[in-house]
Amino acid sequence: MDAAADGGATASTTEVSSPSTTAVASTSTTAAASSGPSTSESASASTSASASLSTPPPNNGHREDPGGFKLKFCTVCASNQNRSMESHLRLALANYPVISFGTGSLVRLPGPTIQQPNVYKFNETSYDSIYRELDAKDPRLYRANGLLNMLGRNRNIKWGPERWQDWQIGMPRTKQQNDKGSEGMEAGVADVVITCEERCWDAVIDDLLNRGSPLNRAVHVINIDIKDNHEEASVGGRAIVDLADSLNKLAVEEREKTGASVFDAGSGREGFDERVPEVLGEWQERWPNLPATWTLAWF
Amino acid sequence: MAAPTKTLSVADQLDQLQAARKLALTTPVYYEKIVKGVLPIIGPTAPIELRRWGAEFLAESLATPVLAKNEKESLTIAVLDTIKALLESGDDDPIVLKASIGAAASAYPIVVRWIIFNSYHPDPWEQMSAIKSRVFRIWDTAPPPVKLACIKFAQRIVLAQTVSNGQEARLYPGLDVSLGMITGSHPILDPRRMEAEATGLLDRMLGVLQDNSSDALLVDGTLNCLSILIRTRPSTSNRIINCILNFNPLKLANSPMTPKTKVLVKSMEKTTRMLLIHIIKRDPNFQPGAPGSQQLGRIQQYIQRLERSKTEIFDEAGRKRALADQSSAQYGDTKRQRTETPAAVAVTIPPLGPGPHRYSALYTITNNAGLQSFDATQVPHQLATRIVVKTLSSISQGVLDFAIAGIRDRLKTFQPAPTPSFAGAPPPGAINPATAPLGVEEGDDDYEPNFNAAEDTEQILNKLDNAPPEVPLDHTEALDLGPFTLPSPPLLDPDTAIRLAQAAASRLFGPLSSLKEEGSRKPRAGINRLAASSYDRESWLTVVTRLATRSTAGLESNFKKEETGRLALNDTLREMLFVYILEDWRRRIEVAVAWLCEEWYNDQLIKLSGSGAPLNYEKYALRLIDGFLNYITPQDKVLTRFLAEIPELSRELLGKCKTLCGDPTTVNLTLTSMLYLVMMRPPVRAIALDTVAEIWQEYVDARPLAAKYLTKWRPGFIESQTIGQSSAAASA
Repeated sequence: MDAAADGGATASTTEVSSPSTTAVASTSTTAAASSGPSTSESASASTSASASLSTPPPNNGHREDPGGFKLKFCTVCASNQNRSMESHLRLALANYPVISFGTGSLVRLPGPTIQQPNVYKFNETSYDSIYRELDAKDPRLYRANGLLNMLGRNRNIKWGPERWQDWQIGMPRTKQQNDKGSEGMEAGVADVVITCEERCWDAVIDDLLNRGSPLNRAVHVINIDIKDNHEEASVGGRAIVDLADSLNKLAVEEREKTGASVFDAGSGREGFDERVPEVLGEWQERWPNLPATWTLAWF
Repeated sequence: MAAPTKTLSVADQLDQLQAARKLALTTPVYYEKIVKGVLPIIGPTAPIELRRWGAEFLAESLATPVLAKNEKESLTIAVLDTIKALLESGDDDPIVLKASIGAAASAYPIVVRWIIFNSYHPDPWEQMSAIKSRVFRIWDTAPPPVKLACIKFAQRIVLAQTVSNGQEARLYPGLDVSLGMITGSHPILDPRRMEAEATGLLDRMLGVLQDNSSDALLVDGTLNCLSILIRTRPSTSNRIINCILNFNPLKLANSPMTPKTKVLVKSMEKTTRMLLIHIIKRDPNFQPGAPGSQQLGRIQQYIQRLERSKTEIFDEAGRKRALADQSSAQYGDTKRQRTETPAAVAVTIPPLGPGPHRYSALYTITNNAGLQSFDATQVPHQLATRIVVKTLSSISQGVLDFAIAGIRDRLKTFQPAPTPSFAGAPPPGAINPATAPLGVEEGDDDYEPNFNAAEDTEQILNKLDNAPPEVPLDHTEALDLGPFTLPSPPLLDPDTAIRLAQAAASRLFGPLSSLKEEGSRKPRAGINRLAASSYDRESWLTVVTRLATRSTAGLESNFKKEETGRLALNDTLREMLFVYILEDWRRRIEVAVAWLCEEWYNDQLIKLSGSGAPLNYEKYALRLIDGFLNYITPQDKVLTRFLAEIPELSRELLGKCKTLCGDPTTVNLTLTSMLYLVMMRPPVRAIALDTVAEIWQEYVDARPLAAKYLTKWRPGFIESQTIGQSSAAASA
């Protein structure tokens, strides 16, 4: 596996400073496959472990903005708290325009027992108010299970959890200028929607079918199955940035092609849209533990 | 102004355009002005970057939901010419084409509506027709992204040129232009020709499905824009559904599976399925009983078939969690491996290998993995006994002897060479006794993302797996089968005992808050009632009161001597009971009476035994009366009841009640309570009357009523008082 050797070399440098990160993740998969009987960790756990070993996030995920064309992303999970916000932050730190939503009926966070979740309304509750409420309720519990940490992160990203179904697609988002990743998102549309769970993907597609595609704008909807816990969300966030980089590379290439007629078939000048499945297939090989689904839908 | 604009670089111009766009987005009022203002800059002769930007800006502006219908109309009419020019500008840049066709799709229904009402001004319609024919010309040869836009454009035409069932008008503002709006006498638009065009276009759109195309981009793009046609354009829905049902999204699966084909097959299958599920769920025409319901069965069958075939195709590769056995076989999944005991062989019973073993492993002589993991302790005792007896009676002596010898050999191998007791985690590869009893494989399916649990069961189990065993077993000793004695518990020092007693006492009160008060009074079972036979509040209180009064009966004398100044368990309970009653004394007066009865009974027992233990009845009766006396109101008949029901009354206790007469409002209550005692409790009649007499003497306000009772029950008393004032003091 030359990818492994390649990945090993890249791993010693950094993930995010290199423009192409394709080889990095394959390290983790190889490591997971060859982990052998000496470890009792699960395959996915070892992926996360080795992935985090091989790719230390330099500068906290920040990277220089190379400028140029950027795809606009939208991340979606159930409650717009953990997985979508983790990837929201990571994409924003990677300088992509990004917004995020939840598809659940309510924002649900774990409570003292599994039967007593903390439930909030979408669009009406801010991360800060949830933070303060939980901090007052039981600071020890909610610090120990990572909720306060998560909410503390989220309230620095945007005001509060938003519900996908209530999103008016195409409404200008000019008032959210302080949100992370808001730059470039002013028109309120995305090129790629990334959901973090099959249920959310289904909800997004069903909602888009229901809306009747009034905007006549194509959108790639990709699901990446990420388990809903902090560790997996972090791994998933890294995988999503990897995918975003790969996709954006395609889009930039498409933009750089000018002049020659694109109507010559087989000229290698394929557009962005048609190359998405290929790139996703390659990405899936790098991240075999995060099953992905894709479709082209309409806003 | 013109000269400097010319010299501006493309990048600077883009920056300016971007700023103008932001202004439009922030203040929609400027939209029209800005769009019209940029038209000359983005024209067909402009540099490619500007044309791309312009086409995308036009698409965005014509689609934006912030503009009202009429604002959009004038905007649309104004930009048609530019869209047409962009589509026809020589170099066919796909990005420009894609965005321009998108803009045209948004413009189409608006132009149709405009021309319906403004037939005298046919220019926009002619421009739109030119755009239409240009789009249809490039549709077949264009690269896929542009083709995609063509499909969407066609979809908007079909939507505008077929008859609506009226459902979208209220649901989807902006999608409501339909053939029904065009009258047959329209000078420009001919409804019949338009409908024919729509039918033809629909066929062309569906062609990608009919050809069983493997181009997932076009298939998905087509499928994902059909929903609104099926739901709101009845003339199209049957045609579309039939077409989908004949489409096989899994055709590509027959070719070699590269990562890309996997994505494509999965995508087409899921998209097809989602659309059909969506239609069944949302379209009232496909509900049971509706006109489309005969299609319903077909659709459901198709969905099931699709799901089955998909499962078959992606069985090994795509399924998220394969069976534990498979995954361990294929991927060497160490975590999910079953911990097999190496010594288990059916006929021969080889000695167990080195390393720690469980007792169950020692006695396991089967090599069937399923049987090995069977937990015999789950079997009920009676059943186990019957099985053992049956088995022992039927098993041949030879086999039994063989098995016993085998086990004995295993034991022997351990005795001479005891393995050193292990501390901490077992060496890698060894069987970890902590893993065996945990149902790790089953835990996997319990993942329920609804709860957003920070850690799911599986992860907790994983952690437990990796944790060192809580009690490191010394296996050599364990296998010696030597005598075993439980270590004696650490000595309880009095402080700890008291602390534990208090904790235990407070736990006793825990259930009270959750136990419900019986709503309706149950008929009392009387003497036949067993205390605490039903788990309700009353029985629990009986338990608590008896524990408080009698838990240490007979032990007080020794205990108290040592523990003076400290609260023993039952005193703690008494205090808590006292607090509990006073928390809501009106309703809990019954509890107070029950408790005092128990105390009184206990006191009698103590007196009988002559142990000299302290008596509690009087003490707590006085404390209770003190506790609620201050809160008594004239309506509190509970006082009467309390005094009547507690087992013993003393002068001191009644003396406390006397103070109530200081408040004129409670005089009546106090004296009525006394009268009740006089009438109904002859043993205390004397002291009750004494109390009334004292009231008469001490409280002037209470005199009239007290006098009334005294004249009846102690005739001559008042007279003696009024006559001999001097002797009154002596009698008091």
